[in-house]
Amino acid sequence: MQPQRPPTHPLWRLLPLIQAHARRFWGGMSLIILGRFLEAGMPLLLGAAIDSLHRGAPNLLFPALAIMVLMVARYVSFNLGRRFVRQVGVEVAFDLRQKLYWHLQLQGPKFFAQFTTGDLMARAINDLQLIRMMVGLGSRLLFVLGASGIIAFGIMLTLSTKLSVMLLPLMPIIGFFGWLIARQIFVQSTLVQEGFSELSAQVQENLNGIRTIQTHSQEAREIERLEAKSGDYADTFLRLMFHNSALTSTMLVMTGAATLIIVGYGGSLVINGEVSIGTFTAFLFFLGMMLSPVKEGGVMVTLFQRAASATERIYEILDHEPEIRDADDAAPLDTVGGEIVIKDLSYQHAGQKKGSQSWPALNNISLTIARGQTVAVLGRIGSGKSTLLRLLVRLLDPAPGTIYLDGRDVRNLPLAQVRQEIAFVPQDPFLFADELGQNITYDNPDRTLEEVWDAAKIADLGETINMFPSKLETEVGERGVTLSGGQKQRTSLARGLIRGTPVLLLDDCFSAVDTETEEKILTRLRALRQGLTTVLVSHRVSTAQHADRIIMLECGEIVESGTHADLMASGGAYAELARMQSRREVLQSDLEAQTATTENQMSEDVP
Amino acid sequence: MSDVTAPDLNGKKEDDRDYSVFDNDIEGKRFDVALLRRLLGWLKPYRGRALLSLCSVLISATATVLAPVIITRVVVDGLLLTENALPDSVEAPDMGQRALVGFVSSFSALDMLVAACLVYAGWVLMAGLFSHLFRILLARAVLNGLKDLRRDVFAHLERLPAAFYDRVAVGRVMTRVTNDIETLFELLSGFGVLLGEFVPFLVAMTIMMSINPQLTGLLLILMPVAVVATFIFRLASRKIYRDIRSSLSRLNENLQENLSGMEVVQLYQREEINFRRYSEINSANRHQENHAVTVESYYGPAMDSLIFLAMASIIWFGGAQVIAADVTLGSLILFASFTEMLFRPIVAMGEQWNVVFRAMASCERIFQALDWKEALIEPENPQPLPTPLRGEVRFDHLDFQYRPGHPILRDVSFTIPAGRRIAIVGPTGSGKTTLIRLLCRFYDVVPGSIYIDDTDIMDVMPGEVRRRVGVVLQDFHIFSGTVLDNIVLGDPAVSREDAIQAAKTVNAHPFIERLPQGYDTPLVERGRNLSHGQRQLLAFARVLAMNPDILILDEATASVDTETELVIQDALRKLTADRTSIIIAHRLQTIREADTIVVLAQGELREMGSHDELMRARGLYATLYELQVQDAT
Repeated sequence: MQPQRPPTHPLWRLLPLIQAHARRFWGGMSLIILGRFLEAGMPLLLGAAIDSLHRGAPNLLFPALAIMVLMVARYVSFNLGRRFVRQVGVEVAFDLRQKLYWHLQLQGPKFFAQFTTGDLMARAINDLQLIRMMVGLGSRLLFVLGASGIIAFGIMLTLSTKLSVMLLPLMPIIGFFGWLIARQIFVQSTLVQEGFSELSAQVQENLNGIRTIQTHSQEAREIERLEAKSGDYADTFLRLMFHNSALTSTMLVMTGAATLIIVGYGGSLVINGEVSIGTFTAFLFFLGMMLSPVKEGGVMVTLFQRAASATERIYEILDHEPEIRDADDAAPLDTVGGEIVIKDLSYQHAGQKKGSQSWPALNNISLTIARGQTVAVLGRIGSGKSTLLRLLVRLLDPAPGTIYLDGRDVRNLPLAQVRQEIAFVPQDPFLFADELGQNITYDNPDRTLEEVWDAAKIADLGETINMFPSKLETEVGERGVTLSGGQKQRTSLARGLIRGTPVLLLDDCFSAVDTETEEKILTRLRALRQGLTTVLVSHRVSTAQHADRIIMLECGEIVESGTHADLMASGGAYAELARMQSRREVLQSDLEAQTATTENQMSEDVP
Repeated sequence: MSDVTAPDLNGKKEDDRDYSVFDNDIEGKRFDVALLRRLLGWLKPYRGRALLSLCSVLISATATVLAPVIITRVVVDGLLLTENALPDSVEAPDMGQRALVGFVSSFSALDMLVAACLVYAGWVLMAGLFSHLFRILLARAVLNGLKDLRRDVFAHLERLPAAFYDRVAVGRVMTRVTNDIETLFELLSGFGVLLGEFVPFLVAMTIMMSINPQLTGLLLILMPVAVVATFIFRLASRKIYRDIRSSLSRLNENLQENLSGMEVVQLYQREEINFRRYSEINSANRHQENHAVTVESYYGPAMDSLIFLAMASIIWFGGAQVIAADVTLGSLILFASFTEMLFRPIVAMGEQWNVVFRAMASCERIFQALDWKEALIEPENPQPLPTPLRGEVRFDHLDFQYRPGHPILRDVSFTIPAGRRIAIVGPTGSGKTTLIRLLCRFYDVVPGSIYIDDTDIMDVMPGEVRRRVGVVLQDFHIFSGTVLDNIVLGDPAVSREDAIQAAKTVNAHPFIERLPQGYDTPLVERGRNLSHGQRQLLAFARVLAMNPDILILDEATASVDTETELVIQDALRKLTADRTSIIIAHRLQTIREADTIVVLAQGELREMGSHDELMRARGLYATLYELQVQDAT
């Protein structure tokens, strides 16, 4: 699907994002480097002042004033420079977030089976943060530290070539030690992170299994186990601290060694009169600047390494082509009547769980639904009812030439039109943490209040809404937690009905609604859907019986098809189901009384 | 009959517990010394190390400060400027460094400059070594102390009764053992960082004071400027950071909800609108982030500017003193080299500011968990369960509620004769699970009683009840460890042979033998490397190995293939043979094979009898049974 990319370092992929803010980024970098140049002026001025004092011809006003001027200039260039570069970091994070959000909205079921919500959230939060750090801080370190080293050494060379050259052999040694320890720190900090997530996982698993642990009196052993894990973690952490501290101390000693060269060799040069005391002092000050890249190189390398893997993880998502998308030659229908023709439709779910018996979800289904017809689909769990509806609305993609809407292959229609003309009410009533009314007008927030109330009444939600103190403005909470199962289902139904689409698909969306209410809703629905196509999936005969046609699915195949009367007369699976369910209806009231009272109670199995 | 606290009093106590405190967000508001003192209590066992660490930082700070004294006072003043007309600089204090270098020089017959270099190297090495020791010793003390704290919190949580976990989400307490302790590490090691900055600063100040009090005093004037700047910066950025945190969490909430409801989003073509809303939050966040960047850009370079200001002052005022021959040139350079050290403690303090508040909140959360007192009622005069046990179980007028006003069990009374196999059926929420949880003493049985062989289980220690009553929960836990460990569960009475025998009995032996290391194969947490059916068999083997007098089983609802199903059913039959067994049954086979079926609904006992009797009665059981038949294939 995706053309093979040449194997370049993942961080190069961030370059276009940075280049989108090129002026700010490179302008900021230049300002920071300019600031470094200005900073280099201070040791020179200090040296000049000292030399003038040493010569007995003191000139203090100029160096003191010049340092003040440098201070102001340097402040301005650093302030602006850092601000610009860090802003680019913020912008890159902003742009990536926008891209990611939009891209995720285009993905289909295969994608979401591959990446869990938790995984995607982790990428959007942590990886983005790492990239931002790299752009806003890491890149700055890269350029600035490099520039500092070069500037400092350049000036030192002009001041005293002899003394500067003596410092050179030390550089690779310091660099090597710095690199060695920094690499260890990178490894150790990864281990610490892993250790922490292992520790967290153990605590979580343990507390989730607390009942088993208590029934088997395993508390003491589990505490011991946690202690062991916690001890390992502390040891790992200590190793990281050790390396961190060792790096700091090593750099201190190495800087000391470089200072010794300046003092020993430079001192003798001063005594010989080859180098002035002011230059000697300036050298001491330049040393820190010169060593800064090797000192802080480790931090920088870590930032880059982290950001590289973060970039890879972000682009793993962004490179994922949407599996369901418009065909190149997709063209919309002018008007949609609502005739559906299904020809030899088969579908096999990808990546079905191992071990479970696997049969195609749908097998050679052929079906014609005339415009304005109401069709009920019945069958056991796993018989392919939901799959069929999902294929119709292209939540799953059917093979080309299997599903036609008004004579046109749905694969050749723009996805937007399919979803515009076919409303699908899913089994699981997902509500958004918003007002009840906003949930009903989810497809178009500009709908009128009358439309909302009409839809709500048909879904038998009117009285419920009136019961709430804030009516339509009632906040339903995350996933609609403040509503009961039945209320959620009816809200979800109203959300579908309000659209008045030529085709309406209802996926078993009365399961938490009692039969009496369901009957009321179905009666109103029939009036509403006069002349419009409706397909409803159910496992209740009572839901299906008034449909123009009833389809019985079994293991992905149509086993019976006809009107209620036809199927009852034929005495097949449908008739058997009807017989069993009518028996059940006798005791329905008893059961429903329980459902109603237990619905709002604490669920006992998962307290 | 029972000698425990009066039921109604106990009920009241339960109601008084406010579990919602665990849901509240605790924000650290102020610096609480009492909390800190309590926290430091955990470091007490490691105070020796902490003290050594403190000594190390003193030594390293002194060495750090003395090293530049060698360069400036000894080398510059004493060796490089000897031909100069400056007044006798021997008078100026040098902390005895010149004498030390002189001693080394005469002792080793080396040139003074070389000797100075040697001494300098000595100081630098000492500074490096002792600063390392300081950090390591401190880290070790802190890590060990926090490890103990973690164990204590965990041990406390581990022993809280099941009722606690019914009401408080695991996610709400687990972070107290993990993330909150991490924050405390940040806090305590942050103190270390401060110490590492402050001690050298103080030593340097002392030396500077002794050399040139006027110039030192002048530089000290700059300190309040730094403090004020830092304070203003923290104040200005605090609100921005809070805004950023809130916009970030709104971004994440929005994304999370969109991902969870993606199907609806796509079906209702909300992509554009949702993207626009997300963009709005994202833009707000960008604005705040940029604001924070601006504020930080003002602050950071400003602190460095103070160093320049200090340098200019040293040149101007110090230079004048050099001209007046009040100080030596070397002292001037020494002052210049200390400037960088001047403002570091203040910057470090500013950085620790936020950590302190976060850590205070963490402290509060940890102690909140640690201080939560909740336990099952233990009898004053515990009685043992009779040995051997016949296994008769009698439920006597059992009432139970998790929350007041929401009864789960209502006046349930029935008797299970010894050795019988009972299936409990009923719709979700009928009280089945609660009933068996009461029997294995997850909760206090009040009001009403449960008798095992005529002994009220409230008169028996909960541990004793659990040793005699074996339970297989629906969400049983597989421990990380080997297969054998998972069967034996630390019971010294169970030998390897016993375990293998148990596994054989419940048909687990064949699959265990096929594992790479047989009984010694390590299992991942939750047994993810086993199939569902295998885990079920392992749980059976585990409970059989403990050879309980009464067996309780909450049958798993997950579907398995037919072959595994047959194996499990067979294992179940062996498990329940000759033993009082109570099974919350979900499978038709299990229900059919029970001696007696107990039908619960709405917390009440509705029907009881054999399958045939109940089918004939055409009551609730018959309905439930047929529904089950319909759904099963």
